[in-house]
Amino acid sequence: MSEELFRAEKLTRRYHNAGREVVALSEVDLQLAPGARLGIVGESGSGKSTLVRLLAGLDRPTSGRVWFKGADITALPERRRGFLRSSVQMVFQDPRSSLNPRMRVGDIITEPLRSRLLRPQLVGVDHRTRLTEVLAAVDLDADAADRYPHEFSGGQRQRIAIARALAPKPEVLIADEPVSALDVSVRAQVLNLLTDLVAGQGLSLIVVSHDLLVVRHLCDELAVMRAGRIIESGPTDQVYLQPKTEYTAALLAAIPRIRTGPGETGDSR
Amino acid sequence: MSLLDVCDLSVTFGRRHRPALDGVCFSLDAGCRLGVIGESGSGKTVTALAVMGLLPEYARVSGKVELAGHQITHLSEAGLARLRGDVVTMVFQEPMTALDPTMRVGRQVAEVLRLHAGTESGPARAAVINMLGEVGLEDPERVADAYPHQLSGGQRQRVSLAMALINAPDLVICDEPTTALDVTVQATVLAKLNDVLDASGAACLFISHDLAVVSQVCDQVAVMLDGRIVETGSVAELFARPQHPYTQGLVATARLDQTIPGQRLPVVEDFYRPGVSR
Repeated sequence: MSEELFRAEKLTRRYHNAGREVVALSEVDLQLAPGARLGIVGESGSGKSTLVRLLAGLDRPTSGRVWFKGADITALPERRRGFLRSSVQMVFQDPRSSLNPRMRVGDIITEPLRSRLLRPQLVGVDHRTRLTEVLAAVDLDADAADRYPHEFSGGQRQRIAIARALAPKPEVLIADEPVSALDVSVRAQVLNLLTDLVAGQGLSLIVVSHDLLVVRHLCDELAVMRAGRIIESGPTDQVYLQPKTEYTAALLAAIPRIRTGPGETGDSR
Repeated sequence: MSLLDVCDLSVTFGRRHRPALDGVCFSLDAGCRLGVIGESGSGKTVTALAVMGLLPEYARVSGKVELAGHQITHLSEAGLARLRGDVVTMVFQEPMTALDPTMRVGRQVAEVLRLHAGTESGPARAAVINMLGEVGLEDPERVADAYPHQLSGGQRQRVSLAMALINAPDLVICDEPTTALDVTVQATVLAKLNDVLDASGAACLFISHDLAVVSQVCDQVAVMLDGRIVETGSVAELFARPQHPYTQGLVATARLDQTIPGQRLPVVEDFYRPGVSR
C-alpha cells in the first residue's frame, strides 16, 4: 500500500445547477506511484479540474473513494486533513486571482506555514529561512518578499504561486493549467522551472492542461479525459504518437503548428 | 493605395510612462492579412485600438492612421461610428464581454446591419441567420434566439465573427480571438475565420501572442517589442529565418513541438537581452 501515492476508485462527482444535474466526473479509477509525472488533458468541462480537486481534497466525491499514501481521505474531516494540505499543493491557472492582492508576497508564501493544521509536520521550520529558500528556488530576488502581487508580471506572479506551493515542502505538486494564462515567451520559463523543481526536489507532479504539447513536455504519463471519464491513458509518448481513440487524435490534430511553407500540414488556406 | 496606412504612430498614456507606441509604421493592402505578434505590453492592442479610433481621450496620439482614405486620428466620434461596424470591424478576445448579455444574439448581429445598411428587421433576420450559418453554427435559427450565456465559448466567438463580417467590411481586426478557447474549438474557429475571410475578401489585422495561430491565418507578420515594430516579413520567411534576435527567441520558444520532452526549453533571454532602456 505504501508503494502508491494516490488511488481513486469509481470517483463520481455530480453538481446540481438550477435543478439540473451535471455529472462532472463519472466512475474514474486512477493509480499513481510516487515520483510519477501525470498529465491530464481534455476539453473544458471534461472533468480534469474536478478530478484533481478531489485528489487534493479540495472537494468531496458524490460517490467513490480516494486514498493518499494508503490512507482513505474520502470522508476525513477537515481538521484531520492537515497532512494532505502540506503534502499536496496546488498551482492554479491565473495568478492574478489566486494571489491575495492585499498581502505582501512574503506573507503569501509563508501563509501555508502558519496554518494550524499544518503545524505538526512543520514544527521548527523557520519561516524566514524557508521564504528565502523557495524564492531562490523559483528564481525571484529576495526583495520580492516585501512587494505586492500587482508589482509583478504574469510570469513572475506564477513563480510566486509556485513558491507558495513549495513552502510547506509538499510531495505532490498539482498544477491546473499552469501556463495557459501566460505569453508564449514566459511559458517556456515557467515550464523550465517546473521541470527543474520536479527533478531537483523529487516531487510528484500532476499537470492539468488542454494543451497536449505542454503536458508532453512535463509528464511521462498521460490521461485523456472526455465527459467525466478517462478514455485513454498510458505513457505520454505512446499516447502522443499512437493515439488509440479518435478523440485523442482529434486533440492532437487541433494543436496549431507554425506554418513556414506553403502546403505544410495544418495549412487550411 | 493601401487600405490601411499607419505612419509614425506614437501613443502615450499618462505623463511619466514611456510611450505605448513609439513610431509604428506599417501598411496593409486590401484583402491582405497581417499578423501582429509580441508579448503582453508590447503595444499590439493599442495599435488595434488606434486603427479603430477607440483610444481613450487621455491618450496622446501623434502620427498618421489612414483607413480607406479616412484620417482616423482627425475624425469626430460620429464620423468614426460610421466607419466602425461597416468599413472596419473588430473581434475581441472574450466574447462573453464583447456581447450584450441581455440581448438575444440574433438581434445583436442584426443591429449592426440595421445601423449601417438600414435593413428592415424582416430581411435583416434572414441575413443574420444566413451569416450565422456561414460561420459554421449549426441550427442558426436556434442560436439567433439564444442569449450569450446559453451558448458555448466557441459558439459565442463565432457569433462575434458573424457580427464582424455581416456588413462585408474592408478590414477585420481580431485581437487574440481564440486565446480564451480550447485547442479543438480554436482549430474550428480559425478554420471558419479563414473561410469567411476568403469568401468576403476582407483584409485582416490579426493580433496574437501565439505564433502558430498567426501562421495559420496570415500571410505577413509584424513583430512588436516595447511599442515598436522590430521586424516584418512574410509568414514563411520570418518564421523560417527570423533576423532580429528577439524574433529568433520568440520563434525558438514557440517550437514546443520540436523539443525533446523534459529538456530545457529555449527562452527569449537566450537570444535577446533587453537593453538598459527597460
